[in-house]
Amino acid sequence: MDRFTNVILFAGLGCFGFSFLMSGVYPYLITDGLVPETSIVELAKDVSVEFKELKASYPVAFGQSYPTAGAALTLEELAGLAEDDPRRAASESAWQDAYAVALRDGRDAYIAEVCFHCHTQYVRPVANESLRFGPVLAPANDNNALQRPMLWGTRRVGPDLTHEGRLRSNDWHVAHFFNPPDTSPGSVMPRFPWFFRDGWQVRRSIDPGKADRGGIDEGRSYPTPGVFETKAEAEAEMARLKETLPSALSGEKERLFVEAAKGPNGTALSIIAYLQWMGTWVPPVREPTP
Amino acid sequence: MTSTTLPIGDAADEPPAQIIADASADHLVCKGLVKWHFTFASLFMLVSMTAGFVVSLQFVGAYPFENVHWLSFGRLRLVHTNAIAFGFLVNAFVGGMYYAVPRLTGRRVASHRLGWVILVVWQFLILATAVGQLLGYAQAVEWGETPTGFRPGTWDLNYIPVDFLVEFGAVLVAIQFLTPIAKSMFKRMYVSLWYFSAGIVWLILTYVMGNTLPEWTLSGSSGGATVGLYIHDLVGLFVTPMGWGLMYFFVPIILRKPIWSHALSVIGFWALAFFYPLNGVHHFLLSSIPMSVQYGAIISTMAVEIVVTTVVVNFFATMWGRGLALRTNLPIRWFYTGMVCYFITCLQCFFHVTLAVQKIIHFTDWVPGHAHMVMMGVFAFWVLGMMTWLWPRLVGNDWYNRRLNHWHYWLTMIGLVVMFVDLLAAGVMHGYMFMALAPWSDILNALKPFWDVRTFAGGMILLGQILFVYNMWQTARTPKPYDYRVDLVDPEAN
Repeated sequence: MDRFTNVILFAGLGCFGFSFLMSGVYPYLITDGLVPETSIVELAKDVSVEFKELKASYPVAFGQSYPTAGAALTLEELAGLAEDDPRRAASESAWQDAYAVALRDGRDAYIAEVCFHCHTQYVRPVANESLRFGPVLAPANDNNALQRPMLWGTRRVGPDLTHEGRLRSNDWHVAHFFNPPDTSPGSVMPRFPWFFRDGWQVRRSIDPGKADRGGIDEGRSYPTPGVFETKAEAEAEMARLKETLPSALSGEKERLFVEAAKGPNGTALSIIAYLQWMGTWVPPVREPTP
Repeated sequence: MTSTTLPIGDAADEPPAQIIADASADHLVCKGLVKWHFTFASLFMLVSMTAGFVVSLQFVGAYPFENVHWLSFGRLRLVHTNAIAFGFLVNAFVGGMYYAVPRLTGRRVASHRLGWVILVVWQFLILATAVGQLLGYAQAVEWGETPTGFRPGTWDLNYIPVDFLVEFGAVLVAIQFLTPIAKSMFKRMYVSLWYFSAGIVWLILTYVMGNTLPEWTLSGSSGGATVGLYIHDLVGLFVTPMGWGLMYFFVPIILRKPIWSHALSVIGFWALAFFYPLNGVHHFLLSSIPMSVQYGAIISTMAVEIVVTTVVVNFFATMWGRGLALRTNLPIRWFYTGMVCYFITCLQCFFHVTLAVQKIIHFTDWVPGHAHMVMMGVFAFWVLGMMTWLWPRLVGNDWYNRRLNHWHYWLTMIGLVVMFVDLLAAGVMHGYMFMALAPWSDILNALKPFWDVRTFAGGMILLGQILFVYNMWQTARTPKPYDYRVDLVDPEAN
């Protein structure tokens, strides 16, 4: 037993090979080996509402990040088009292309920022986990390219993210990345200042006559979509907004102003798209073998 | 002084395995390689522990690099675990093997020139790993965070393909050490050599498996099974065999006494070889990996915990009649403290691998508590003991200040115990609060005092290591006559 060749063959190769068969090959053969993995492009066929909302809320960063964003039209933009306009058909495939890029970039950012060390992506059938986080998933639910390498995680400093998709709004996620304790009291999650870009934004101050309703400060103002690179672009946007305001709201024109602002950058948008996707995918049903 | 002879088994027809414990093997050892591997090991230990300490500050709300992307919390956290595994432990083990293997085989390693190449290549890879991780190219496989160099799951190159170079480096290490073992002048292989040779083969296989399959072929559940296998094999099939192999070498050498029972060491080795790799999936219990595989992993885990006890018994029986060494000999104290820690972790593992306990403690601070006990309490303690014993021999000067070494021991040991108890308690509390559906913010607020204590304990450990590295540095540059007999427990024995 204590010969060099015995040690190399039986311990080195044999024991390792046996364990690999038992806990590597065997589980593969009876689960994921039965169905082909779903690719990211395939996953992106079903574009989420939240992803389309990202374009409406953050048009500048969105346009910079996704090459097909121009052809991907939001509901508002579609409303202006005729029924047989070719741009309608082009829009859906543009959305799918952009969504595939977003999901992959988002997953890559999730890995690059090492989210998987504090957030898990698997719910166990014990410890009231499904009451807290949602249903326990089967192997098929993780048999897709976004789970390769798999991102189950082993530690929960923050909550499980298996069913994070559609649980909160995009804006919640933006605020959360900016300063986690603002949205999640007691959070020890780091801030992500590199998810934000500097620029100029059109803001609308509150109508002083209505300011006291609900105890809102008089100095408060609200942003309009789009953080622009230059002040001139933001001013052009302000001019456009003034023109398009309905006459009933003409009083609002006076309260528009341009200010330096921060907005989510492309990385933030993609990671939010990825978070909003989590748990929303329904794996294809496997045909019973005859 | 003659060689320390270690009778092996009852084969009368063959000469027994031996350790060459006297100076007659000195010309076979390249002390420079041992010295430099130890130097880099201690530097990466400092890097890793500083990173660990800084990362812990995030939990007490005092993270110093909040706005620096490449020093962000998540990325520095990778450097902490990865630099300990590949920068500290691998360097120290390779250094230890450069000292041990020639004395166990009577042969030089394959080539000292190759040794210098491996030294430089390995340090480059560790640095490339750390830089890649800080720039965000880490691989999302726990303990395999070494950058693949490719975009996750694709073949688009975006960084140095460190993973493949590490595999290449591991093959060089195998050539370096398997050559003398295969050509050993003793017909029988001593226990240490079984561990070394199997451990090197396992390192290559494990590394290739864990760093390629989950990334490019296996998704989700089956990827999870392989990642579990990888995490566990890296500890169980590389770090553990190397650690025990070195213990089987250094303990008899310092105590001047052969190991107590050959039979027990055979059982220990083959039980580790057979059961340890079957444990892998226990890192993802109650997941969507098939339950049959999970139960298999649980049962083999319990089996391995029972059988490794034989190894611990063997070493404590070896201590018989030399108990005073624990007080007088610092390296022996490091080694045996490590063995006590080993027994504690194994016992802990025996219980917490069961589904009933998993339900409570998984995902909590219990897990890092356990991991620190294994990596720091066992393997780092052994490596530190080994360095404490070898360093004056390598540089030819006596320790600059032996009291500092005692400070190092006590600070590290007390720091580790405090951290272990603290994280275990935090984990149990977290688990029960979680099950009781306590709001997340309540759980976090309850955990914060425990995290304060953890940072304090980590600071103690870090301070101990700084003192040690300072002492190493001063020892190397301060001429002071060194008599090796002061470190022997019983210089007259044998």
